Amino acid sequence: MNLMANILINVITSFLGGSLLLGLHRKIMARIQLRPGPPIIQYLLHSLKFFFKETSLPKTASPVFYISIVCILAGIWTTGVIVGPVTQGSLLIMFGIYAVYKIVEHNMGSSSGSPYGKLSCVRAVFSAASEIPLFAVVALIFFQTGTLSIAGIIHYQSVNGPLIFTIPLAGVMFFILLLTKSPYSPFAITKGKELISGYETEHFGFLRGFLMFSESIAWFIMSWLFLTLFFGPLSVVYYVIGMIAITVVTAFINATSPLLNPNHSVMLQITIAFVCIVGTIIMMVV
Amino acid sequence: MDISSLGGDFLGIIPLGDIVLYLTPFHLFMCVVMLLFTFLICISKTETQVEASFGKLEDTKVSVGLNEFKQRRFLSIICGIATAGAMITGDLFNFTLFMALIGIVNIGIVSAVKQTSVLNAAYQYGLIAMMCSLPLFGGAAIILASTGTLSLFELSNLATTSAMTVFGALLLLIGILGESGVAPFFATKAEMFRTPGSPFLVIIHLSSLFVVIRAIEILLIIIKVI
Amino acid sequence: MNKQKIISYTLLLVSILAIVYALIFNPADWIVYGIAIVFIPCFILSFGILTMAKPIDDEKEERDEEPFIGY
Repeated sequence: MNLMANILINVITSFLGGSLLLGLHRKIMARIQLRPGPPIIQYLLHSLKFFFKETSLPKTASPVFYISIVCILAGIWTTGVIVGPVTQGSLLIMFGIYAVYKIVEHNMGSSSGSPYGKLSCVRAVFSAASEIPLFAVVALIFFQTGTLSIAGIIHYQSVNGPLIFTIPLAGVMFFILLLTKSPYSPFAITKGKELISGYETEHFGFLRGFLMFSESIAWFIMSWLFLTLFFGPLSVVYYVIGMIAITVVTAFINATSPLLNPNHSVMLQITIAFVCIVGTIIMMVV
Repeated sequence: MDISSLGGDFLGIIPLGDIVLYLTPFHLFMCVVMLLFTFLICISKTETQVEASFGKLEDTKVSVGLNEFKQRRFLSIICGIATAGAMITGDLFNFTLFMALIGIVNIGIVSAVKQTSVLNAAYQYGLIAMMCSLPLFGGAAIILASTGTLSLFELSNLATTSAMTVFGALLLLIGILGESGVAPFFATKAEMFRTPGSPFLVIIHLSSLFVVIRAIEILLIIIKVI
Repeated sequence: MNKQKIISYTLLLVSILAIVYALIFNPADWIVYGIAIVFIPCFILSFGILTMAKPIDDEKEERDEEPFIGY
């Protein structure tokens, strides 16, 4: 197939799929909390709705970064689509994309001049310190499979069976990372409700729609990555089932657990990362 | 070990004397992102930070003065270029040099601010960065002494890793963690972000994250478990 | 037509042309990647600037001054 067509189809699929998954996430959380909740399609409608809303530039903002950071977020997740489903390239690039995602949280918060965004920006630095060790899961995968190319890892799993059976603790680490990025997560200290919407507070109007577009792609690609890295070569049906399962599980966790305070969130993530890294290395040696 | 198993398809080498630079999509992506951010820093103005006043129902607006702005922007651009260099270099010693430069410039970006708490944080970060330059350069020196080369391209072609090389790599890791101020040293660094000037703060954070990712690649090249 | 509109229309046109060029002429892989990464966000950005509602002139000052509205 034509490469550009492939990329476009994948970007649109991940946007639509990611939006529906996040809508489902909200719906399930609502039902657990005994509310009717919005329809599943609501997230998608919201992202489109924002494109027609009133938008203006705050006087206190740093204009270049205020707008370009949203484009950068879309750009990196387009790269994510290319490195992930389209070419199945290197996992290290995915790591880089994740790092830029953290930077976007940081800069989107500080570039508006709002106190809520600023607090979120400082918290993004704290949370990066614990999420980056969690992403060190790529090193564990490398020790097990000898490659960091996603295509190579899929091939390894088709020969040796899914990685979730050989290095389950690494799977736990990646799942915690996914959980951190899900809405209303106990670890989402940058978006905590005491900061209104954290770093997203000042990005209203079409910029918010743009942001939601990228975030749905991000959710789709990260669950795709989790399924691909730990459950081996899967067909489309299993991807759909797996993504829905991940969304349901994270929704259950988020609906029933409180938002952690920043120190506790960081310490818990660091502890999980440490236990899982040491545990995986012990399992590999034994 | 094949380098392309880490960073993606091998794009080519740039032979510069005995230092062979090599390119993969990973290095290209990181370098381009860094240069993009550096360019945005060049053209952007700072934001005005709104803070609550103590004892009054008013907001205080804190902005960056012109002299401070010029100084911090210059240092931020240097930091961006140094990080882009650290992303693309194929030589371990160059990497440590870029790393040391990033550490020094990061302190500089923050020390232009006239706020005591921020200056305190910068001072503490500076102490750690200074102490960690010993393991940083020492690690690189031990790797050179035990393998006879500092070129990552050559290091990736070695068949085995001796215990001394692993020791050197661990020292290097400690040095990088300290210089870039990530966990467990992140507490002092997070304090530095309480000042206005978002374009300059972003480069401090971005440089340390990217350097850690590149360091993981370098350590996986040096230490051969498989 | 103000400056902002002209720039956004130009950007929209350029990004559509670039994407269509990559679709039809099938250039080298790295050019396609470049076009996708740069022009898909550009397309959405310019589209957003064109479709967004602007504050009416009486309220414009107020909107810029008091941005911290949350939702």
